[in-house]
Amino acid sequence: MDSALIGQSLVSGLGIGCVYGLIGIGFCVIYNASGIVNFAQGAFVMLGGMITHVLLVRGQLPYFAAIVLSVLVVALLGVVIERLVVRPLWKRNAPMFVMILATLAAQIVIERLTFLAVDDQPKTLPVFTDLPPIMVGGVAVNIQSLWIVAGSLAIVGLLALFFKGTRTGKAMRACAINREAAALQGIPVHGMLALAFGLSAGLGAIAGIMLTPTQYTAFNVGVPFAISGFIAAIIGGFGRPFGAFLGGLTLGVVQSVAILSFGAGLKTVVALSVLLLFLFVRPSGILGAAK
Amino acid sequence: MTSSPSTTLREAARAPGRVSLRGLAARAAPWLIAACVVGYALVVGGYAATVVAFALIYAIFVSGLNVFMGLTAQVSFGQSAFAAIGGYASAVLTTEYEWGLLPAMGAGLAGALAFAFVVGYPTLRLKGHYLSMATLAIGMITYEVAVQWDSVTQGYLGISGIPPLGIAGYEATSDRQILVVLSLCVVATVLAVARIRRSRVGRAFAGLAGSEEAARALGINVARYKLLSFLLSAGFGSLSGSLFVHVVGYVSPEVFSLHMVILSFTMLYVGGIGTIAGPVVGALVVSVLPETFRAFRDYQDLAYGAALILLLIFAPRGLAGLFTAIEDRPAKNGRSS
Repeated sequence: MDSALIGQSLVSGLGIGCVYGLIGIGFCVIYNASGIVNFAQGAFVMLGGMITHVLLVRGQLPYFAAIVLSVLVVALLGVVIERLVVRPLWKRNAPMFVMILATLAAQIVIERLTFLAVDDQPKTLPVFTDLPPIMVGGVAVNIQSLWIVAGSLAIVGLLALFFKGTRTGKAMRACAINREAAALQGIPVHGMLALAFGLSAGLGAIAGIMLTPTQYTAFNVGVPFAISGFIAAIIGGFGRPFGAFLGGLTLGVVQSVAILSFGAGLKTVVALSVLLLFLFVRPSGILGAAK
Repeated sequence: MTSSPSTTLREAARAPGRVSLRGLAARAAPWLIAACVVGYALVVGGYAATVVAFALIYAIFVSGLNVFMGLTAQVSFGQSAFAAIGGYASAVLTTEYEWGLLPAMGAGLAGALAFAFVVGYPTLRLKGHYLSMATLAIGMITYEVAVQWDSVTQGYLGISGIPPLGIAGYEATSDRQILVVLSLCVVATVLAVARIRRSRVGRAFAGLAGSEEAARALGINVARYKLLSFLLSAGFGSLSGSLFVHVVGYVSPEVFSLHMVILSFTMLYVGGIGTIAGPVVGALVVSVLPETFRAFRDYQDLAYGAALILLLIFAPRGLAGLFTAIEDRPAKNGRSS
């Protein structure tokens, strides 16, 4: 195996790893605000790409406007799911697996609705900037990967600012540390939950939009992405947003090396095996679980 | 874990003493409904028989799931893995190696139990969303392996020409014969689950479901009983997988996909988690209802998903909750001291 090939797969691994990281952060944001693991996370990723495609092709909107609108719509949908599915169960103190099952069912419902509303054909989006790949020492780095990496880093930076610097961000962290204490301080805990869903849906949508030009989107891509994002969150130590990002990068690289060694067919098996390995050996992840 | 469905304890706590006529009727109602549906299918035959046959196979699978999730209050999103092992073992051994039906089924069962034992040991130490995700991963790995392991499973193409159900020269080939065989299997399953629940093991499961700490304090070996419950559940899963491939005569990975997981959970919740009749009634209702509205068929997964969400929110105890509500009503004025 020559070094260029390995370098190539590392580059693509980092690109997809950023996306997994963003999805993983989405899991953590909701988990921290509520202790809920939202298995509908993959639906947001799928919808981000899908709605942008629909707005672009059927709506004839400019690309940038389509992206912004799509992120907003998906974020709103996140809030709607929180209101319709999660909050009734949360109020009743439903057991955790009921919550997981309900969000998984929500994922299936969104998937099927998308299938009915659009179709089952894979869709793609144009690359953000149509430039030839940059050659770095025999490794072709395509511009979309750079967009993904830069965009993800920018988002992670903005999130850090939001959680550390703003009142709302601090309130969300307070909920993560102790929900009852936060409520006693006058923090609207329910509102924070809705906000967490909106935020993490938006993150998922952005991840989906950045990724779609390099791959494709279809009504059923959500679940694999959700699982990869979840694995990223576990690797990083569940509940640690920046750990999740690191976890995503790790998973992306491991997966692309695995594709190189065993072929693309087994990439899901490899990812899931990494998950099981972490769950069995070190469930608190590389950084140690939050709290 | 505090996720025990209240049904387990309710059922266990109910004194076996005086039973009113109304109580008896309420208790018999789910079985009467099930018998009527199967009886109707037997008389009509054809397509109705096919639908009900699938429902009966699912009833066995969901009964197994219920042992682990209802009686023991654990979580597994990966029981489809064991159905896949049973199904593929039966399919491959009877077509490729020309084994008999029962030995192949037994081999599948042994394989599923061995797999459940190996993965169960590390997995069942996990709790909450870790357990959910690990079991989901096990189910999905099995699915992927079924897709990728071409030389044995023939990938997406699947395996066809699997011989029908039959023992010692007698084969169940017609719709009605298949229905009779499957009904017997379901009855055996139900009796087995009911027996398990009343046994020492079943009481240990109920204790575990109520509170792991309390169960441990009572001297129940929590890890061992969790594993036992998982193995029982896997066993029923494997048998249902074997039955499926023999009834249909064909198997492909799609049979054991996430769709199966969602469908079986819907059945479990429609019927009522933690009850004996629940899985059977749930499997029949969920299978038969969409068929009565033909136009519905494109929307099946959508309907299952939406129905599941509504049930979880508004009726977490399913149809069984309805029946116990009827049964409990006289207790309010008469029986309570």
